[in-house]
Amino acid sequence: MARVGVFAGITAALGLPGGFTVLGGVPITAQTLGVMLAGAILGPRLGALSMTVFMGLVAAGLPLLAGGRGGAAVFVGPSGGYAIGWIAGAFVIGAIVHAGGRKPVWWRTLLGMLVGGIVVVYAFGIPVQSAVTHLPLGQTVLASLVFVPGDLVKAVVAVLVVGTLVRAYPRAFRREWVSGRLPAAETGGAHR
Amino acid sequence: MITLYRPGDSLWHRLPTGRKAALLAALVLGISLVPVSWAWWGALIPAAVCLGCYAVPGIGVTRLLAQAWAARWIILVTLAGQLLFLGPQPAVVNTARVVAIIAVATLLALTTQVTELLDAIERGLAPLARLGVDPRRAGLLLTVTLTTLPVLARAAGHVREAQRARGARPRLRLFVVPFLVVALKHADELGEALTARGVR
Repeated sequence: MARVGVFAGITAALGLPGGFTVLGGVPITAQTLGVMLAGAILGPRLGALSMTVFMGLVAAGLPLLAGGRGGAAVFVGPSGGYAIGWIAGAFVIGAIVHAGGRKPVWWRTLLGMLVGGIVVVYAFGIPVQSAVTHLPLGQTVLASLVFVPGDLVKAVVAVLVVGTLVRAYPRAFRREWVSGRLPAAETGGAHR
Repeated sequence: MITLYRPGDSLWHRLPTGRKAALLAALVLGISLVPVSWAWWGALIPAAVCLGCYAVPGIGVTRLLAQAWAARWIILVTLAGQLLFLGPQPAVVNTARVVAIIAVATLLALTTQVTELLDAIERGLAPLARLGVDPRRAGLLLTVTLTTLPVLARAAGHVREAQRARGARPRLRLFVVPFLVVALKHADELGEALTARGVR
């Protein structure tokens, strides 16, 4: 429970002002990195739950999204689908990265980030954006392509981070990779 | 913790949270259903609704302008895409509608305290109890997360300062790993504290 809450907080912290602005001040932040890491570290169910909590706080009026946005407006605006996509994305990432209860390896992590973190998020985001702005679907896809390079960079960063974390702090994953999962309340000394 | 809430005593502030949310949702739905074929009316009606909502005493049109400024990136991206593909008139109409929707929906957060909204969410989740969702647990989870935010923001600041003190250039990956370790350690401590208090 605490981990779910803290990860929602991590996602918020990654979107804090003074974060990382690239591309001449356009607010492309590290926030989607939080989505990717939540899924990869917490696994599908808890990862999705932590994103749900994050969205709950956003809905409650906290300006947690990048650029200080928040409130129920986020969910009815053009970005509403992406909010749902984050929840689904974290789930898919967790499911792929931890498929079969094995230790995350780089190619499976990368696959998870690309499918869950990019394809799934856009699959939810683009139709809603298209419906809200009345811009036809195909053209919304084209307009959204602008953000894909940034997401690719973040996917690569997320893979590197997960790889480092597996070696540096395996406790973070709360999982036993050799013989299935540990219950969440275990001491968490995952062996390699 | 900075929130979107602005204290005041306007009509919106005095409405009970549940009814306010329902009313604003209805307005948003109404705005988004204005048909495309009405041409310029599609921009005028949302703008009028929006102005009407903000013009009540105690909120004011300046607040509306501040909201529009906060949403400038959304406006820019929407407008650019629409101008490119659809031409000027639909672009203006669609963008006006999007801005109006965002501005009206923001009223909820502007005029309701976070704690009150969290309570409302908890109450709203009550029917889900039959599906196995415990609304009190959900409420606690939201509150725990809320209190974690300042702690994590401080931790992020520490990591960044420590790296700057050693002359490291700010780089995303070098920041995220230590930050994650600190945050997850905090999560473990928090989990122990919760377990000690009988929350599982």
